[in-house]
Parts: sequence; structure tokens; C-alpha cells
Amino acid sequence: MVLSQRIHEAFKGTVERITGHRTVSAFKEKGVLSVSEFILAGDNLVSKCPTWSWESGEPSKRKSYLPPEKQYLITRNVPCLRRAASVEEEYEAAGGEVLLDNEDNDGWLATHGKPKDRSDVEENLPSMETLEIRHNETVRSIPSYFGGEDEEDIPDMADFEEADNVIETDAATLQSTYLVAQEPDDDNILRTRTYDVSITYDKYYQTPRVWLTGYDESRMLLQPELVLEDVSQDHAHKTVTIEDHPHLPGKHASVHPCRHGAVMKKIIDVLMSRGVEPEVDKYLFLFLKFVASVIPTIEYDYTMDFDLGSSST
Amino acid sequence: MAKEGSGSILQFAPFQSSVDEGFWHRFSSLKLNKFGIDDSPIAISGFFAPCSHPQVSNHLTLLAESLPSDSNEESSIPAFSRGNRNRCSVPGILYNTNTMESFHGLDKQGLLRAEAKKIWEDVHSGKVLEDSSVLSRFLLISFADLKKWSFHYWFAFPALVLDPPATLVDLRPASQWFTLEEAESVSAACNEWRNSSVTADVPFFLVSVGSDSRAAVRHLKDWETCQYDGQKLLFAFYDPCHLPNNPGWPLRNYLAFICARWNLKTVHFLCYRENRGFADLSLSLVGEALITISQGWREHQCVPNAVGWELNKGRKVPRCINLAKSMDPTRLAISAA
Repeated sequence: MVLSQRIHEAFKGTVERITGHRTVSAFKEKGVLSVSEFILAGDNLVSKCPTWSWESGEPSKRKSYLPPEKQYLITRNVPCLRRAASVEEEYEAAGGEVLLDNEDNDGWLATHGKPKDRSDVEENLPSMETLEIRHNETVRSIPSYFGGEDEEDIPDMADFEEADNVIETDAATLQSTYLVAQEPDDDNILRTRTYDVSITYDKYYQTPRVWLTGYDESRMLLQPELVLEDVSQDHAHKTVTIEDHPHLPGKHASVHPCRHGAVMKKIIDVLMSRGVEPEVDKYLFLFLKFVASVIPTIEYDYTMDFDLGSSST
Repeated sequence: MAKEGSGSILQFAPFQSSVDEGFWHRFSSLKLNKFGIDDSPIAISGFFAPCSHPQVSNHLTLLAESLPSDSNEESSIPAFSRGNRNRCSVPGILYNTNTMESFHGLDKQGLLRAEAKKIWEDVHSGKVLEDSSVLSRFLLISFADLKKWSFHYWFAFPALVLDPPATLVDLRPASQWFTLEEAESVSAACNEWRNSSVTADVPFFLVSVGSDSRAAVRHLKDWETCQYDGQKLLFAFYDPCHLPNNPGWPLRNYLAFICARWNLKTVHFLCYRENRGFADLSLSLVGEALITISQGWREHQCVPNAVGWELNKGRKVPRCINLAKSMDPTRLAISAA
């Protein structure tokens, strides 16, 4: 992790400890949520999209300002059939899409398009703990933790394959061994990864925050760096970072919440300008809709359909 | 969709395991602070839910909460985790060994048979009628190398083998099997079952459809009384599998149970599946299986054969995961510097 990032984390942690949590609603003014509004919006998400549920996480990591049984939201085993990187290539080949709003350089709502002339920007970006992913590189089958660079210590399991006491010949067992992707590509690599997507409450930014835990085709944990392949490439080098999850062990990829309030405010403004009065319990549906632009190929559930009118014409 | 159905052997898609990082973290902590070198088996729980996406199956998932709590003051599993529709619990047992040699030396067939015997006992004692989750059990063997933060493990999902295997008479999407009116009523009844915290995590149940097309979901123990009031009576279960032509693994022990308990020759079953958390009858399947077991198969004394060791990418080898990146204090210190 970059030093500046760590210093900021330490600062943020201190501020979170010494300041109280938000109690007055600033949902419409600032696009942020108070703790109780987060619970309200979470309850609504769980009831409308039942693949989501509240969880309590590690007892040692519980936040006292959240109810013990409602520490964060999670939906597991969400399919991701293709890599975001390859989707973008297709969009670009098709001419890309127009950013909804790029005036402040926060074109969050752009679906998958990527302006061609931005490649030079990347040099100036803060270096986060990211993996260089070249667009023209074809995505290969990904080794999970097993098969990393430190594997010399791990005995080769093939040596043990005689499996003398696992002799099973059974006509009633379907001989398909692991997940079959929807569309095997010409190189015959199975691309179905699955994700656990979780939403925590970030007390400092007063917004929800999304975390991704990935599993490969045989359901082995993905290194968080590889998760960045499933993140819109604009964001993989910018807003998606790999950090400690507030309620779970290990490092997980997360969409950094520093712009969440501003983006949500923008969405709310668009809604209000069309005479739609946004309700705070729908916050997470709007939020997940915009997160979909960051993780376009992860098919998590945000069933509620809102007319956001991505093109205002 | 009835797919060369008549007479073919009914094949089940194997259950698949998925282990959350939190499981290994808590297990390491328990091993270091509580178990030590004690390698007695530990009762654990796995979690699953019906398939909820047309393109991926659901797995049997192990989480930190699958294990007993690692802190002493914490009471075991808090009440609110029961009745969670996304976490139907499956009883399991963990055999952790202290060396690689003993890991490989475990009598895998023997362990599998022992779990199958538990299922068989519960089938005959009637325990399944009270708590149907005991029909699916799992077994996990492991060697946790805490010096290298690597975990070698192998799952088994013991399934009682019908001899000879059941044959498939018919299998099609539930939406085609039911009339439109029935399908709507079945969906509504199943959604209600899934949304009640009392029944949300009960994975085996009955669906009856009366002559008025009205569907009702019942507990297994109501089978005798359902006999008369429904025209169609289906043995339903939460199917983690997404495949259009195969039911998932839990149906195996279910059929064995139905056969041993009620001696039915023809079984109509419903593989209950969801899309985005709601009943999806075009994804769900209705099938008709024909069971012609050999003489003596139902005898309580002779436990049927069992299969179910999970394959790793098609091979009979254990899995291994290395978590040094998130567990090794030296590495954590370096990455934090």
C-alpha cells in the first residue's frame, strides 16, 4: 500500500474514533447517509432483493454504532461470466459510449465506454496496489492462491493422485466437474468467476462502500489483484483499491468511497430535476446502480428498476 | 426438454464446495488457541441456498460461522443467523490432521461410510421428518500447515446409492409441467415458504396442488395426510444446481429416504430454484423417477453404498489454498511498510 494511502487511512481512523456519527439527514443536500438511514436502506434492499442479507461479521470487528446483527450487507455467489477488460474492448470496437457527465472528471454513470484519448492520463494516476492489465492481453485462466510464486513449498498433489481409497464408479453421478461458463470462448477457457459482494457503512465518508471477494472457476479464492480484471478499467487504476475489509479477514477489493457522496448527490439532483422525489430507503438501489458502472460484468441483484434516464434527451 | 428421458439413468450434478477466507482464519485461531494437537473430529456447519441464477449453481459454503466461536465469552451461534434464507445450514464434520502423512493416510472410504450411516440412521429413525437438513451431510478432511499458512482439504458429500439407479421417466421445466394457473400458485406458495423465518431454511418439503389449481407447501411429516387432498403431490427440495437437464445432489438422499420410508416406486420431484431470490419455475424442474431397488436394499441393517468425494478440476486430488498473504505477520508487516 502506498504511504500516502496509509497515512490517510490512519487519519480517517482517528477521525472516525473521535467524531460522532451523523444523526441529521443530509441525504438530499450531500448525497450521504446517517447510520440509521443506512440501516433503513439496507432493510429495504434485503426485503426487495432477497439474495442480499445482513450479517454480523467477525465479533472482534463489530462497530458499536451499528446493530450487532446488521453490521454489513452481503450477497454471495454472484456470477461474473466475462472479464470487464474484454467487454470494454468490444464496446470500444463498437464506438464506445458517451459519458453521461464528464465535466468534473467523474463520469461515474458512463456505462462501459472509455474515451480513446485518455491513455496518457494513466501515468499521473496515484499508484495504487493495482495490477497492470493491458487491454490487448487476452485473459488467461487464472491461478488462485494455489500456484502463486511461493508454491515451491507446496507438495505436488499429483503425486498423491492414486487416490487408492477413493474409488467411486457411480452411474448416477453427472460427470461434469466444475462450473461451465455461459459462453466458452474460442480458447475454451471457462470464465465463470463468482463474487461475494458486500456493502459496509463508511463512517468517515458517511456513505456505503462496496467490497468484492472473488472466486475462480473452481471456486478457489482469487487474489484481490485479479479482481481488478472485473472492474471497469477506468476505475481499476483509480478508484478501486485493495484494503482490509472492516468486518472480514483478509484483503479485498473495494470501490473507494471518496466520491460516493458527490456522485449520489448528482444522481439525486437529476431525479429531482425530473420531479422525482428520491426516498432515502431507496438509496442503496441508486447506489448499486451506479456501482454497476464500476463493475459492469458482475451480475449482482439490484432488481428495483429506476428510470435514471442515462441520456437526458 | 423431456430429453431422451424415458428409461435413462437419473444423473445428479455433484454438490460443490466453496470456502470463505474467514473460515480458515477462525480455524487457525481455534487450532492455535484451543485445539492444539487434539485432532478429534469437530462438528461444523455448511451453508447453501437454492440456485439463484440461471448460469451458476450455488455451493456449499463454509464461513467463519461454520466453526464454533473462537472467543470464550461469545455464545455459540447467535439466534439471528437461524432462518436466514441465504444460509440453509447443512451439518458437517471436520477431521483435521496434524501432519501431511496422516492427512493422506485417512481412510476416506471408511469416513464416508460413517457419514452415510448417520444419514441412514436418521432416515430410519424418522429424524429426517423432524429436521430435514440432516439428509444432506458433508465431510471435510484437512491438514492445516500453520507454519506456511497453507490448508490442504477435501470435501465429501455422502450420497446413498440406489441399487440399481433410479431411472428418469420425465424431466422438464416446472413452468411446462404445471398449468399457468398452477404455476402461479406454486410460485406464490414457495415464495411464502422462503420468506417465513420459520421455514426459509427448511430444504426439503412437499408441494401439493389441488384440483382447483391451488398449491400448498407442507412439511415432510405431513405426507400421509397430503395423500388424499392433493391431486398432484411433489417432493420438493432446494436445488443448488442450475443445469436444465439434471437435478442437484440433495435429491439423491431424498430419493433414498422416500424409497426407504414410504416404499414408493414412482416419485414426482420438484427441483426448486430461484432467480434473484424469487421462485423461478422455468428454471425449476419437475421430474418423474422410477425406483426399482433390489431385494433387501431397504433393510435397516445394511447401509447402502455411498459416494461423494468432490473432484478437483476433474481429478481425485485434494485442494490447497495458501493464505500467507493475509496471515503471515512478516508479510503483513512488509506490505504495511
